[in-house]
Amino acid sequence: MTSDPRFRVPLVVVTSVLIHTAVTSQLRIGDTSPDLLILLPVTAGMVAGRSIGAAMGFGTGMALDLFLTSPFGLSALVYCLLGYLVGAFQGGLVAVSPSVTALAALAASAVGVLLYAASSAVLGQPVAVDRLVTVVGLVSVVNALASPLALRVTRWALVDRSRSRVMA
Amino acid sequence: MAVYRRSRRQRFALVVLILTSITVVTLDFRGDGAVGSLRSGLRDVFAPAQAVVARVFSPVTGAFGGISRYRGLRSENERLRRELDTAKAEALKGADASRERRLLLALGGLDFAGEIRSIPARVVGYAPSNFAVTIEINKGIGHRLAVGMPVVTEAGLVGRITEASWDRSTVLLLTDPASAVGVRLATSGEVGVVKGAGQRRLLPLDLIPVEAELKPGDAVVTSGLDGGLFPPAVPVGRVVMAKVEPGALAQEATIEPTVDFARLELVKVLLWTPRP
Repeated sequence: MTSDPRFRVPLVVVTSVLIHTAVTSQLRIGDTSPDLLILLPVTAGMVAGRSIGAAMGFGTGMALDLFLTSPFGLSALVYCLLGYLVGAFQGGLVAVSPSVTALAALAASAVGVLLYAASSAVLGQPVAVDRLVTVVGLVSVVNALASPLALRVTRWALVDRSRSRVMA
Repeated sequence: MAVYRRSRRQRFALVVLILTSITVVTLDFRGDGAVGSLRSGLRDVFAPAQAVVARVFSPVTGAFGGISRYRGLRSENERLRRELDTAKAEALKGADASRERRLLLALGGLDFAGEIRSIPARVVGYAPSNFAVTIEINKGIGHRLAVGMPVVTEAGLVGRITEASWDRSTVLLLTDPASAVGVRLATSGEVGVVKGAGQRRLLPLDLIPVEAELKPGDAVVTSGLDGGLFPPAVPVGRVVMAKVEPGALAQEATIEPTVDFARLELVKVLLWTPRP
C-alpha cells in the first residue's frame, strides 16, 4: 500500500500542510515567514509534468485554505496554476543539475508569491505592497535551499515503485 | 496525434481544476454557509494533529524565536533601563495619585471592559500566510465565542474574531491591512479611523480634522459609536506624529499601538457583539 502514489500523495500533502501551519509559518524573521508549501506544486511540476503539478497544487492549496482567512479556494487556484506553469516550462530540468533545480525553485516561488498577491488584490483583499519584496526574497531563497529535500519527498510520493514509473 | 490528444487532456484537466477553484471562491464570497461550515469542521478535525506537531517542534520554534528576537530584546532592554530610571524619579511624586488610581480600579470605574464579561484564551499560532496578520486562539464557539467579538489584553485592543470553529478562533489583528477601527482622541474627543499597516509598524490615524488639537503622546481609544465594531474606550494606542500638509482636509498622523503584537501569549475575548 505504501508504494502506491494514491496513498503517498495525500499523506505528503496533509503532513506538509500540518508542518507548515504549526511549525514553518511560526518561524518568523521580522514579520515574514518561509512558505515551503509552494514547493509541493513546484517540484510536482518538475518531476511529473503540468497535469500532476496542477493537481498537486490544487490539493495542497485546498488543504491550506482551511487555515487561512482569505477566500476559500484562492490558494488552490494559485498553486494549481503554478504547478501547471512549472510543469510546462521546467519539466525535464530536474535531471540537469541541483543548482538548476534550485534556481528554478527560486524563480517559481517568486512567481507563486506574486501570483497570490495579484489574485488577492483582484478579489479586493488588502495587500501590503511595501512588504512584497521582503516576502518574495525570503520565500524564494529559503525554497531554493530546501528544493533538494522537497524534490526527494515529491519523488517519493509520485513515483510508483511497483511499476517503476511516475504517477500520471 | 497521441501527443496532441494527451496535451488536450492535460489542458482540459487544468480548466476543470481552475473552474472548481473559482466556483469555491465565488461560493465563499457570497457567504455560502456550507463552505464556512466545511472549513470550520475540517479545521476542528485537524486541530489535535496540529497541536501535536506544534508540541513536537516547539523546541525548534522556541529557539528560532529567541535568535530572531535577540537584537530587538537588547535594544528593548536598554530602553526599559532608561524608563526605569525615569520611573524611579516619578515614583515618589506619583505615589498618591497611584493610590487613588488603584482604588478607582478596584471600584471598576477605570476598567475599559466595564461590565462586559470576558473569556481568557491562549495564542496557539500566527497566520500561516505572509498576507494576513492574524493569530489563532485556543477557544471557539464551544466556549461561547462568536465572530465579531473584540479581543484585548490588559494593554488594550488586539483585534476581533473573524472566524470561529468549535474550539479555535482566528483573530484579525489591529495591524492587519484589512483592519479599520473607529477611534476617539481621549483628550479632545475627535473621532477618526486607525488602519492596519502590518506588524511592528506605526499605524496611520485618518480623518482627524486639521483644526483638531493633536500632539504626540495623546491617547487614542475606540470610539464605540453606534454600529461600531468595538465597545467604547478600549485603549488602542498613543499618537507618535501629527502634521498638517498645506491644503489637506485631514491631519496626517500615526499612532503606536499599546499592545505589543510580537509577544502575544494570553488574551481576553470580550463577550460583546456589534450592535446592528
